[in-house]
Amino acid sequence: MSVFTRSQADREALLLPELAALTSHHRANSEGYERILSSLGIAPDTAFASIADLPWLPVRMFKTHDLKSVPDSEVFKTLTSSGTTGAGASRIYLDKEAAGAQTKQLGATLQEVLGGERLPMLMVDTIGIIKNRRSFSARGAGVLGMANFGRKHTYVLDENDQPDVEAVKKFLAEYGDKPFLIFGFTFMVWQFLYEVARDHGLDLSNGILIHSGGWKKLIDRAVDNTEFRRRFKEDTGLTRIHNYYGMIEQIGTVFLEGPSGNSLYCPDFADVVIRNPETWEEQPVGEPGVIEVVSTLPRSYPGHVLLTEDLGVYNGIDDGDWPGKHFSVLGRLPKAEARGCSDTFSGAAA
Amino acid sequence: MTTLTQRFPAAPSVSATDLVDELRASPPGGRLRVGDPRIVEFVTKFARKLLAPATARRFPELASLGFFLRKGEIAKALSTLDTSGHALRFPRGLVFHVPPANVDTIFVYSWALSALAGNHNVVRVSSRSAGAAEAVLDALNAALSEVDPSVADVVRATQRMVTYDRSDEVSGALSLAADLRVIWGGDGSVAALRKYPLAPHARDLTFPDRSSFAVASVAGWQRASEAERRAAAEGFYNDSYWFDQAACSSPRAVFWVGDEAGARAAGSEFRTLLAAVLETKQHVTEPAMAVQKRVSAYGAAVDGVVKEIAFQGNGLATLELADPAVLPREWLGAGTFANARVSTLSDLVPIVLRKDQTVSQFGFSAEELTAFAHELAGRGVDRIVPFGSALTFSAVWDGYDLLSEFSRLVTVQA
Repeated sequence: MSVFTRSQADREALLLPELAALTSHHRANSEGYERILSSLGIAPDTAFASIADLPWLPVRMFKTHDLKSVPDSEVFKTLTSSGTTGAGASRIYLDKEAAGAQTKQLGATLQEVLGGERLPMLMVDTIGIIKNRRSFSARGAGVLGMANFGRKHTYVLDENDQPDVEAVKKFLAEYGDKPFLIFGFTFMVWQFLYEVARDHGLDLSNGILIHSGGWKKLIDRAVDNTEFRRRFKEDTGLTRIHNYYGMIEQIGTVFLEGPSGNSLYCPDFADVVIRNPETWEEQPVGEPGVIEVVSTLPRSYPGHVLLTEDLGVYNGIDDGDWPGKHFSVLGRLPKAEARGCSDTFSGAAA
Repeated sequence: MTTLTQRFPAAPSVSATDLVDELRASPPGGRLRVGDPRIVEFVTKFARKLLAPATARRFPELASLGFFLRKGEIAKALSTLDTSGHALRFPRGLVFHVPPANVDTIFVYSWALSALAGNHNVVRVSSRSAGAAEAVLDALNAALSEVDPSVADVVRATQRMVTYDRSDEVSGALSLAADLRVIWGGDGSVAALRKYPLAPHARDLTFPDRSSFAVASVAGWQRASEAERRAAAEGFYNDSYWFDQAACSSPRAVFWVGDEAGARAAGSEFRTLLAAVLETKQHVTEPAMAVQKRVSAYGAAVDGVVKEIAFQGNGLATLELADPAVLPREWLGAGTFANARVSTLSDLVPIVLRKDQTVSQFGFSAEELTAFAHELAGRGVDRIVPFGSALTFSAVWDGYDLLSEFSRLVTVQA
């Protein structure tokens, strides 16, 4: 049952009423959210003409304020993550239903490229990242969340963060002749899997790689998505590569790179809007702007329409591997800095 | 052993101990006096460099600084120190200045007034200092080569601007050697520097975190001509946007004082004029700043502080306060103004805190403002200035008469 089926017109027709109902649901159940919308002068009975007309919240709101649409007694799980921008951690409140829905929909999304059964899995990380629950990082959460989709997990890095070539060789000897799953963060996959596989002549041609986390750390190595795919293909035989874009504030929703690469697609329960940062109007195909992510999953907190701090661009609509809008992430917005009389003391003053 | 980079007078790196020893020595040509003509000569030469058209065009804030340090202005400021009767005024000695990293000109005001008071000074210039600060250091070094050698020698012996990386050793040595320590840069800097003991007789002059707001008279607005209203919007723009509204003197809230209908009409007209100024000045709000402003504005709504949010483009956000008594004093992003109405200035008295520094005003008479100051009775607010003057530095700052602070009195009775 694929979740990459809806054309943009179908998506508008099917998602808009659902998202409008979610907006009402959050207004009724999250006092903070209601205060934001009413102070913006958005009447409770407002009719929205399109997905792009729905009011958005800056994703950083979840770092500065507790916003939830369920009573405290129904909070089943609180996710916290500090994004890469520092400054506080996001707090995302899930009730049982929301926690179930996000796992289910993430599974449905990945099934598109993994098939129905759990595959043997190579984790491009260290087991320490999930062992140390005290300092549970976003990376740890990602690894743990993804582990469910595989079996026979083998970690590529040892306890000292060094590539364990023998472990990888053993894994490949055992499972490498049938499809297997590889997961990791983009820069680690490059540094610890690609370089090790290339240097030891490992064959990854039956692998399916799922990776995420951006290209910033690879800029100085002059590796972009195209180069990443080309080198993996040429040096290790790995061709089934899927980058994904997602965030803890919209847990369970991932925008997945299509088979031909270089474009991210929206699952059927999600959408994306690229906005002009001057006018906040939607940008046409090919014009970069700020990425807004839309998903019907966030029911326990008002995170269904979020403006990210990432820049992106539509590559096309209904003309790619899968239906709907498809886009690329271009990088992060630079930080807002102010000149003022007060120094934020950071060791520079003494 | 940490060394200090000597930015002015440009010289090889030096250790803190040697620097202190050099500054402690008696200068050539005799000790500095309050209003020492040698320092006056140097400062006025330096001011002329700042007022040179090329510099003033590139850094408008340096033109204000140059104006502040002209010969006539200096004489006026020094004349306030005239003592009468049995008191004589002398410099404090060695003054250690720690200016903020991100307002490029404060360190010059702080230094110049202290030098004019006859002190030996060591100023820590931030290594993060940007264009305007570099231009200042260049102008200082250039002025040094254009004054009489006897003046240059005494300046070299007594005045230093240095850069050094964070160092307990250096900050500790300079603090212990100082007769007065001047700390700008807010609560964080004050707390950081207070770790280093001073000599028993020395003390701190601190400039902690402050916040400011604006008041506009509805009646005054109604009386004002079209040109005066436009000038008010332009002045307010300068007050607010020059330093991304993050300067302690920039208004973060605007109170309209008068009747409800009048306040609504005046406020709306004022914001239209302000938006037009932003347009004329081709003010750019970076996307990250635009997002930041929404995070702050929505957050204030969640907190129940704000009941209405209006954006006029990315440049101007107006947050209607639910209760004028609960105003955000923290920075909310460049061009984000809390807005409220009160019936009279007296209504603001209970709202004011010690932290409140500058009240920018439009449309009030001197009598009304003086009465307001008397009603405040020192609970807060150090200065009340017209729109357009919020950022204008003055020798009286944060309630201190700086030249007095930088000097001391000796009484003589036969």
